[in-house]
Amino acid sequence: MALTGRAGLLALIGVLVVGLLLPSWQGILVLLGVLVACVAVDLVLAAGVRRLTFSRAGATSVRTGEPCVVQLTVHNPGRRLRGVLRDAWAPSAGVVVDRVAVDVPAGGSRVLSFELRPVRRGDRVADRVTVRSHGPLGIAARQGSHVVPWTVRALPPFHSRRHLPPLLERLRELDGRRASLIRGAGTEFDSLRAYVIGDDVRSIDWRASARSTDVVVRTWRPERDRQVTIVLDTARTSAGRVDGALGGLPRLDTSMDAALLLSALASQARDQVDFLAFSHKVRASVPRATLPVLVQAMAPLEAELVEFDARGAVAEVLRRAGRRSLVVLLTSLEPSIEHGLIPLLPTVATRHHLLIASVSDPAVHAMAAGRGDLEAVYAAAAAERTLAERRRLTALLARHGVDVVDALPDDLPRALADRYLSLKAAGKL
Amino acid sequence: MTAVSPDSGRIWTAARGPVLIGVVILFAAIVITLLRGGGEGGALDPRSFRPEGSHAVADLLEQNGVRVELTDNASSMDGATLFVTQPDLIDPDRLADLSSRAAATVLLAPATGVSRLEPETRDPGCSLAAKAGRATTGGFVYEGEERCYDSTLVRTGTVTMIGYGGIFTNRDIDEEGNAALALSLLGQHERLVWYVPSAADRSQQKSLTDLIPDGWKFGAFQLGIAAVLIALWRARRLGRVVPEPLPVVVRAAETVEGRARLYRRSHAAPHAASVLRQATRDRLAPLLGVPQGDDPSEEIARRTSRPVASVRALLDDREPVDDRGLVALAHELDVLENEVRKA
Repeated sequence: MALTGRAGLLALIGVLVVGLLLPSWQGILVLLGVLVACVAVDLVLAAGVRRLTFSRAGATSVRTGEPCVVQLTVHNPGRRLRGVLRDAWAPSAGVVVDRVAVDVPAGGSRVLSFELRPVRRGDRVADRVTVRSHGPLGIAARQGSHVVPWTVRALPPFHSRRHLPPLLERLRELDGRRASLIRGAGTEFDSLRAYVIGDDVRSIDWRASARSTDVVVRTWRPERDRQVTIVLDTARTSAGRVDGALGGLPRLDTSMDAALLLSALASQARDQVDFLAFSHKVRASVPRATLPVLVQAMAPLEAELVEFDARGAVAEVLRRAGRRSLVVLLTSLEPSIEHGLIPLLPTVATRHHLLIASVSDPAVHAMAAGRGDLEAVYAAAAAERTLAERRRLTALLARHGVDVVDALPDDLPRALADRYLSLKAAGKL
Repeated sequence: MTAVSPDSGRIWTAARGPVLIGVVILFAAIVITLLRGGGEGGALDPRSFRPEGSHAVADLLEQNGVRVELTDNASSMDGATLFVTQPDLIDPDRLADLSSRAAATVLLAPATGVSRLEPETRDPGCSLAAKAGRATTGGFVYEGEERCYDSTLVRTGTVTMIGYGGIFTNRDIDEEGNAALALSLLGQHERLVWYVPSAADRSQQKSLTDLIPDGWKFGAFQLGIAAVLIALWRARRLGRVVPEPLPVVVRAAETVEGRARLYRRSHAAPHAASVLRQATRDRLAPLLGVPQGDDPSEEIARRTSRPVASVRALLDDREPVDDRGLVALAHELDVLENEVRKA
């Protein structure tokens, strides 16, 4: 049960009655009796909340930060229900208005709509639906809760999708669909066509020209149907929060953004994308990934406080990628990879092209530039030490034939996509 | 290392405002107390030498063989004169009880007068005060058996009421027949109980709660019930609190900051200097075309027209550096790097 403000108001009016008319214990008892009687009447006459039935419909997934609507249907088999209903979600589900007044006739139903705007990626689970059913006097109410399960999956926001149009433009240039085709943009022989002014004379195919009345040039196109395996590190180091233009985000979220941009680009380039999220075991795995499947797979991933099992990840990659492929590992350049990943590189690097993408921290760069007082200079020394360590690891990886993209969080998705395009242009996939 | 507990200077800075205010208040209180004059007692106090005090009367009485007892609880007064300076402060029942036990009672200006008169010098006009003659009287006018001084001094049985206390004060006692009148009133018996009512007398009155009407008391009780009901209304939640499953998120730069604090605490200036020099060498090597790991000092000296020795002193790890030198070194390394980039 629950009392309403009217109960308090009634008692306040009682102050006047007791003070002016019945200044005695009897007066107080009489008023208390009236109050209890009113409460009892309300409780008896209020519609029951236990027998209400609920069902849900509406959105099951939404991009983080964007609105969606979930409908809640209330069916009332008993007396007319008047009161308040609260549909409780965790704060990060971003329910704008979670309590509404309801009036459901006897035996009728009502559909209530709740707008959600999730502020954090992941599965947002509905908690309980609580109904407070007021009695006819509005002094007391029956209250009860129901569990009406529903999950809205907040998908990764994919902020870097704004980079996609210029990248696709570059891809089309590579692809020979545009007139500014140049020789060397791709390694696969595509077709022969007539020479037009502006073509590189080095691309003239003399044999074909000899058989033809025109001068004929060869055109090339980038490789297709290559395999790109994206491995996302969800272990310890991915939990680190790094400040970017969108505020402080874990490295994991920035890596996801980069992975999404890369896979969107790669699938446009007709390459096959395999996705693998790995910490000390496989957390998510999407073979032949398309963007909608990928964002669904990524949404519930969270960073775990375990060490990245490089041996397990390498074994998993080798098992999946049959033919030569581009393996993109989204991780963090920390000294720990020297003992974990680097000893295993010969087994991977001989069979696949490995590209490591790492989120660097602008805070460390800012510290490295600090001067003035002793504290700032010591911070600068500590930051330079970290940066030197990253440079050393980058050099060490390069010696094993591994490409490294180490960029600030705002630049990483674009930098990784650019590297992929230049690899593709050079025919290194 | 950053100390978070404040040192003495910061404590003083924070506390001086309140301390100053406290000192000013204390000083003002002392000055005001001194200016208003101290000494014992107030008006009509037999120990007070001030104009409105009554030491002169008490002294005269002592000289005439009357024992003056100053009291604030008036316990034993058999055969004594009772002099009450503020009878209105005493419960009337208690006053009646006291005056019935005393041999004679003098009440100063009780508020039972029928009208008021300005204090001035009057003729007695009765046998009671004929010996004293003219005296400063006034204040309230009373009704009673024997009336003197235009009814401002009245005696009924053993109880004497006087409307104005001027005759007992140090200021006015030497005028006209004031002293004689005071002695005749207060020196009726061997003992004089000079009663100054205290808080104890007032507490015997009805307590505050006895005086409040019943309606207010029960109304307040009902108000309490209303408050409880309103609290119950506001306290009842519509459903439980939903917890937020927060992910583990750590600021990535925290390890770097921790290392910086360790350097600072252990005064690792030589190590920090070595790291900074290495960073500068690493950044300059590709600009100068010197292989990584080689000493770029000569190439730098050639480009910036600095002496080789000074460049080497700046870049060589073996040069000792202390905490103060480290800040300067970092600055000089920046200057050197800028020069190379411009050259």
